[in-house]
Amino acid sequence: MSLADGTVGSSYTVKNICLDEAAKRRLEVLGMVQGTSVQILTRKRGSAMVIKVRGTRFAIGKEFAMGINVEA
Amino acid sequence: MKDVINVAFIGNPNCGKTTLFNAYTGAKLKVANWPGVTVEKKEGQFEFEGQKMKLVDLPGIYSLTSYTMEEKLSRQYVLGDDVDIIIDVVDASSLERNLYLALQFIELGKPVVLALNMMDIVEERGMEIDLHRLPEMLGIPVIPVSARKKTGLDILMHAVLHHVQSSKADPIEHHHAGGKHIHDHHAEYAMVYSDDIEDKIDILSSRLKEKYPDFANIRWLAIKTLEHDEEVLKEYPIDMSGVAENSLETELVNQKFSFIEEIIGEVLVNKDKKSQTTDKIDAVLTHPVWGVPAFLLIMAFVFFLTFTVGDFLKGYFEIALEWVSNGASELLLSLGVSDWIRSLVVDGIIAGVGGILTFLPNIFILFLALAFLEDSGYMSRVAYVMDSLMSKLGLSGRAFIPMLLGFGCSVPAVMASRALEDKSDRIRTILATPFMSCSARLPIYVLLSETFFPHNAMIAAYSMYVIGIVVAIAVAKFIKIGKGKKKTNTLLIELPEYKTPNAHTIFIYVWEKIKDYLTKAGTTIFIASIVLWVLLNFGPSGMTSYINESYAAYIGKFIAPALAPAGLGQWQLAVALISGIAAKEVVVSSLSVLYGIGNILSAEGMASLATALSATGFTAINAYSMMLFCLLYVPCIATVATIKRETNSLKYTWLSIGLHIATAWLVSTLFYQVASLIAGIL
Repeated sequence: MSLADGTVGSSYTVKNICLDEAAKRRLEVLGMVQGTSVQILTRKRGSAMVIKVRGTRFAIGKEFAMGINVEA
Repeated sequence: MKDVINVAFIGNPNCGKTTLFNAYTGAKLKVANWPGVTVEKKEGQFEFEGQKMKLVDLPGIYSLTSYTMEEKLSRQYVLGDDVDIIIDVVDASSLERNLYLALQFIELGKPVVLALNMMDIVEERGMEIDLHRLPEMLGIPVIPVSARKKTGLDILMHAVLHHVQSSKADPIEHHHAGGKHIHDHHAEYAMVYSDDIEDKIDILSSRLKEKYPDFANIRWLAIKTLEHDEEVLKEYPIDMSGVAENSLETELVNQKFSFIEEIIGEVLVNKDKKSQTTDKIDAVLTHPVWGVPAFLLIMAFVFFLTFTVGDFLKGYFEIALEWVSNGASELLLSLGVSDWIRSLVVDGIIAGVGGILTFLPNIFILFLALAFLEDSGYMSRVAYVMDSLMSKLGLSGRAFIPMLLGFGCSVPAVMASRALEDKSDRIRTILATPFMSCSARLPIYVLLSETFFPHNAMIAAYSMYVIGIVVAIAVAKFIKIGKGKKKTNTLLIELPEYKTPNAHTIFIYVWEKIKDYLTKAGTTIFIASIVLWVLLNFGPSGMTSYINESYAAYIGKFIAPALAPAGLGQWQLAVALISGIAAKEVVVSSLSVLYGIGNILSAEGMASLATALSATGFTAINAYSMMLFCLLYVPCIATVATIKRETNSLKYTWLSIGLHIATAWLVSTLFYQVASLIAGIL
C-alpha cells in the first residue's frame, strides 16, 4: 500500500520509494529509507499530511505520500 | 597557532544554529534576511581567551550532497582552506536526523565539534543522552549547549580551541569493531561501511591517490565517487570500471542511517514519550478544518496590531516631526540662509524623509509579528495549512511562505522563493509575490484612506491586502511558465517543535529590518526627495516658483493622459507614481512635496491634501483607484533588482515589470470606470 492510503495515528514501515530521483534523494537525506518507521500524525482529506520520521515532523504533499510504499 | 581561527557553523535547518551564532557575535554583523532561514554567508568576529576567531554561519542543510545551492555553497566553503574547524550544531531533540549531517562532516576530514543544542527539550520529554558514549562513537568532542539560555557557550569555544590544535583524532570505540575486513577501519573512522563497500572505497582510493596526490581527504573523494556525486565526478574524474558503474548513493545513505540507529540505541536513554506540547498546539493549528480559520485569525490579529498600536505610536512621531520641521525652519531663518536652501531642507528633505520616518512604528510592529511567527515555528505550518489552496494553483504549499513574507518586504520574500525546488514554480512565485502588499505601501494606504475614508480607513486599507492576495493568486494560477507539463506537488517541509520565540533572535531580526528602513530613508528616499525638489523648483527657464513650469510638471503632464482613464489624470499623481518606483513610500513624500504640505500625515496635513485634491475634482473613488494602482504597479527598484538576480533572466524581469504595469492600469481603470458609473446613477 502507499502511505497515502494509511490512517491517522498509525505507524508504517517504508518498503520502497517510487518517485523520481530528485524526490527520492530529498526523502533519503531526511532519513526516509527502506525499513524506516513512519507515523501519520494528521492529514487533510485528499491532500497533504503530517508525518513523523525519526522523531521529526514533516508536512508532505499528496504525490509524495502516494509514491512512498509502506507496510503496516 | 594562527592569528585568527576560522570557525564554520553548520547544521540542519531549525537546529538553533543562528541563535547560537548570534549569542557569540551579537548584532555586530550582517545577518540573514529573515529568521530561521540563512541564505547568505554571515560573518562575525569574536575573541575568546585572547584568541581571535572569525565565525561564519552557513545555510541550514540536511545533507552534504550537491543537489541544492545551499549544500554546494556549504561544501565548497568547508572544503576550502578558509575553515580551520567546524561547529556542527545539532538539535538534540532530533538527534537521529541531525546525526546524518554530522556523519558527513566528520567524513569530510576537517576537525568537527558537535554542539548539542536544545537539551532542555530533551529533558522535558523525559529523555536522556549519554554524553560519555556519544563522543566515543563519533570520535569528536560533544558539548551540550543552550543557545537560548546561553549556557555552555564558553565550554564549546574552549573545546574548539583545544580540538583545532590537536592533530590526533580521538579514539573511536564501537561494539562492532574488529570485523573480518583486511583493513580494519573502525579505529580510524567513525563511519565504516559494509565490507564490500569498504573494498570499493579502497580500490577507488588507490586510483584517486595516484591521480590526485595532493587532495587532502582521498577517502571522502572515493565515497563521493561511489555516490556518483555530480561535482566530484566533474572535478575529479577517475576510472570507475569494475567498482562504481552504478551510483551506490542509496546504499550508502542506508548504511549511514543504520549506524545512526546503532548510536541512538546506545546513547538515547529512556525513550518513553511524554505528551508533547507541539502535538497539542498542532491539534488546533494544523487541524483539517480549523487550520485555515486559525491562520486567518492570526493574520487578522497581526494587521490589527499593525494598524492600532502602530498608529497610536505614530501620533508621537508626528508631533516630533512637526517640532523638528518648525525648529529647522526657524533655525535656518535666524542663520539668514537663502530661501532656496531653507525650502530644500524643510520642504524637500525633512518633509520627504521625515514623513517616511513616522511610519517606523507600523513597520516595527509588522516585522515584530512576522519574526514571532517565524521563530515560534508557525511559519512552516502555514505551508501545510495552505497546501490545498496552493495545489489548486499547481504550486506547493511552500510557495505560500514567500507570499506571506511579502507582507513585510518584497525583497526577502522574492529571495525566500529559493526554497522552491522547481524552476517554473519559483518563477511563478517570484512574479506573484510582489503583488502581496508590502509594508512600504502601507503609508500610501494610511494617507489616502484616512484622508478620503475617515470612517472606514481600516477597512479601505485592509481591502488592499485582500486584493493583493487575490491578484497574486490569480497571477500564479494563470501565468504559464515552461512546458506546462503535469508535475508532482512537491510539498516537503519540516515542521519544527514549537518554541517560545527567542528575544535576542527577534531583536536582531527586527533591528535589521528597522536598519534597512532607516538606511532607505537616509539614502534612496533622501536622494529621491532632493531630486524631486529640484525637478519641482527648476524648469526650462531656470529656478521657478511656479510649480506648473517645473520639469516635474512637464514629465507629469506627458504621462498623465495615460493615467486619466483610471481617474489619475493629474500630473502631480503621475510624478508621485514615477518617483514611487525608487521606493513605494516615496509616493507619500512626493505628494507632500508636490502639494507643498509639511507633515502630511497629521490631521491638518491630511485636511490640506484633501482640500488640494478635491479642488481638482478628486474624490474618494479617485483615491481608491490611486491605492489600487500603488498596490499593483511596478515594485520598487530594490525588488526589481532582486527579481533580476533571482531569476537571472532579463526576460522574466521585464515580464514582471510589464505584468505589474498592465495589471495596475487595468484594475484601477476598471474600478474607476465602474465606480464612477455607479456613483453617477446614485
